[in-house]
Formats: sequence, structure tokens, C-alpha cells
Amino acid sequence: MKNVTDSFVSLGHWPPAGSFGFNTDIFATNLINLSVVLGVLIFFGKGVLSDLLDNRKKRILDTIRNSDELREGAIEQLEKARARLQKVETEADQFRTNGYSEIEQKKENLINSTYKILEQLENNKNETIQFEQQRAINQVRQQVFQQALQRALGDLNSCLDTELHLRTISANIGLFGVMKEIID
Amino acid sequence: MNIISCSINTLNGLYDISGVEVGQHLYWQIGSFQVHAQVLITSWVVIAILVGSAIIAVRNPQTIPTDGQNFFEYVLEFIRDVSKTQIGEEYGPWVPFIGTLFLFIFVSNWSGALLPWKIIQLPHGELAAPTNDINTTVALALLTSVAYFYAGLSKKGLGYFSKYIQPTPILLPINILEDFTKPLSLSFRLFGNILADELVVVVLVSLVPLVVPIPVMFLGLFTSGIQAIIFATLAAAYIGESMEGHH
Repeated sequence: MKNVTDSFVSLGHWPPAGSFGFNTDIFATNLINLSVVLGVLIFFGKGVLSDLLDNRKKRILDTIRNSDELREGAIEQLEKARARLQKVETEADQFRTNGYSEIEQKKENLINSTYKILEQLENNKNETIQFEQQRAINQVRQQVFQQALQRALGDLNSCLDTELHLRTISANIGLFGVMKEIID
Repeated sequence: MNIISCSINTLNGLYDISGVEVGQHLYWQIGSFQVHAQVLITSWVVIAILVGSAIIAVRNPQTIPTDGQNFFEYVLEFIRDVSKTQIGEEYGPWVPFIGTLFLFIFVSNWSGALLPWKIIQLPHGELAAPTNDINTTVALALLTSVAYFYAGLSKKGLGYFSKYIQPTPILLPINILEDFTKPLSLSFRLFGNILADELVVVVLVSLVPLVVPIPVMFLGLFTSGIQAIIFATLAAAYIGESMEGHH
């Protein structure tokens, strides 16, 4: 009894107020109870908390792994798609070059045939020109010939007087005589 | 006779204890204000704990969170969950506020219940949880009040006040009263719970120093956590309530 009341009384003995300091009374500062509470809290709380945090960590890891897998799959698909794109591109290139070469060939062919036609036309033209030239030359010749003939005729007409007439006739007669002698 | 004098002595001692315990504060004079220094000191300690642990947690962030980071990310997720359920889609800007409320109140309450504050002797009064003082809880509640008024006004402009006459203008006084009793109820709930909890522990300790207070201390821990969650949830709910509305 005395002890108990003593402890109560000792509780009442607070250090004099008025200054900062430390209270070293274990009962008054409730240290034992606090440490028990803290100990229990840490003992039980630690397991729960670590479980909780481990679960969270695992969830995060799973999520990361999942997204990694997804990423890898996506990358693979991307690679595939890229490969296909390349293939298609090369095919398209081939087609394009083929088409270009074909077009080029056709162009060349066309040019060649056009050249041929042109040449032919040129030939035709030349021939026509030659022909025309020939014709013109012929015409000129004919004209000249005619003019010469006319002038010869005119000359003949103007120059043919009696004496010449006679001389010619006699010459012709002589000629005929010679011819007759030869024939005979 | 001896026994009687002893018991008188005991009663005197108990009276001394209660005289020391309740209603004494360590006053500091700042300007023309008298402040409760013990609250400031414990608040600083709580702030130091929070800031320090936050700095340690974010010092070396990893993709796969290590222990400290993992714990704090878990706490952050919890706070985001609370604000998302209470506020709705636009909860983003309010997460820091709600988180600050929750963490400060929670760490305050638990520091009051777990840290051996009484080792340090003050000239007057004693160190305890910051939320043990009505000034702290009123400050927190007023901040909440300002927050939900700001949320409502910034979201809906002056149309915010149209909610006072809904569903019928008859309820106008009650609706206005409601907005101003919210901080009151918030602050008194927190203050009352924490003060009652600590007083019960102190009284039990002064009566039976060992073992008996332990269950009550656990109850106190539980209540403290619950009160922190309630305060944060209610603050978020008020903010969400003032932001929601039919368009």
C-alpha cells in the first residue's frame, strides 16, 4: 500500500516548471508502454507492410515484364512489316525500272521508225526533186531545141536564095549520081 | 490517520498532475501574437520527418522501386485513390493539397501517440501532437474551406452560389450555414478525437503506469489513422462537391 501510494506521490513530483530540460522519470514519460506499442507495431506491421510492398513490387515487375513482352512483340511485328515494306519497295522499284526500260525501248523504237519514215520521205522528196529537175531539164532542152530548130528554119528560110538552092540541088544530084553508081 | 494523510497526499499529487496537464501552454511572443510554442515545435518536428523522408525517398529514383520509394509510391497511390474517388475526374490539381493534409495529420497524430515527447520538459505545458491543439485543426479546416470555395468559384464562377438555392430557395439559410459549419465540424472532430485519445492515455498512465494503457494506446493509433483519413476524405469530398454540378 505504502509503495503504491509512494509511486503515485512520486508521479506528482514534476520537475519545477520554468526551464527546458529532460524528464528522466520512466513512468511519467510513459516510455515502457510506448516501447511496447512501438515493438508490437513494428513486429506485426512489418510483416503486413513488407507483404504489401512486395506485392506492389511484384505487380510493378509483372507490368514491366508484360509491357516488355508487348514491346518485343511490337518490335518484331515492326521488323516484319519493315521487311515486307522493303520487299514491296524493291518490287515496285523493279516494276518501275522495267516500265522505264520498256518505255525507253518503245521510245527508241518509235524514234527509229520515225527516222525511217523521215528518211523515206526524204528519199521521196529527193526523187521527186530529181524527177522535177529532169523534167525541167527536158523541157528546157526541148525549148532550146525548138528555138534552135526555128532559128535554123528561119536561117534556112532567110539564107536559102536561088544560087544556094541550085548548088544544093546540084550537090544532091551529084550525090544521088554517086549513090546510083555505087548501087549499080 | 497515516493512510488518510497518504491518500490526501496522493490526491494532491493527482491534482498537481491534472493542473500541469491541461490548459497550460508555452507562449512565445511573435509580433503582437501569442503563439503556442509547443505546437510549433512539434509541427516542425513533423514537417522535418515528412520532408526528410520524402527527400530520402526521391533521392535516387529507380524504375523498379526500392523499399523506401516503393512505400512512398504506395502512399501516393493511396492519396490519389482517395482524391479520385472523392473529387472525380479533375482530381489532379488537388492531389498535393489532399496529400499534404493527410500526411501532416497522420504523422502528427501518430507522432503524438508513438514519440516519447514527454522526455523533453518545457517551462510550461508539454509537447504533444500538433493536432492536439485546436489552432492547428482550425487552420487546417480553414485551409480546406478556402480550398473548396476556390475550387467552386474557379470552376463555375459566380454560378457557384446558385447551389445555395437548390433544390429550393427555402433551404438558402441552411445551405449557407452548411458551408460555414464544414470547417467547424472538421476542426472539432479532429481536435476532439486526438485530445480525447491523448487525455485518456495520460489519465490511464497516471493511474496505472504499466500495461493497462497499452490497449488504449493501440486504440489511439487506430483512431488517429482513421481521423487522418476522414479529414483528407472529407476535404476531398467537399472540394468535389463544390466542383461538381449539373450543366
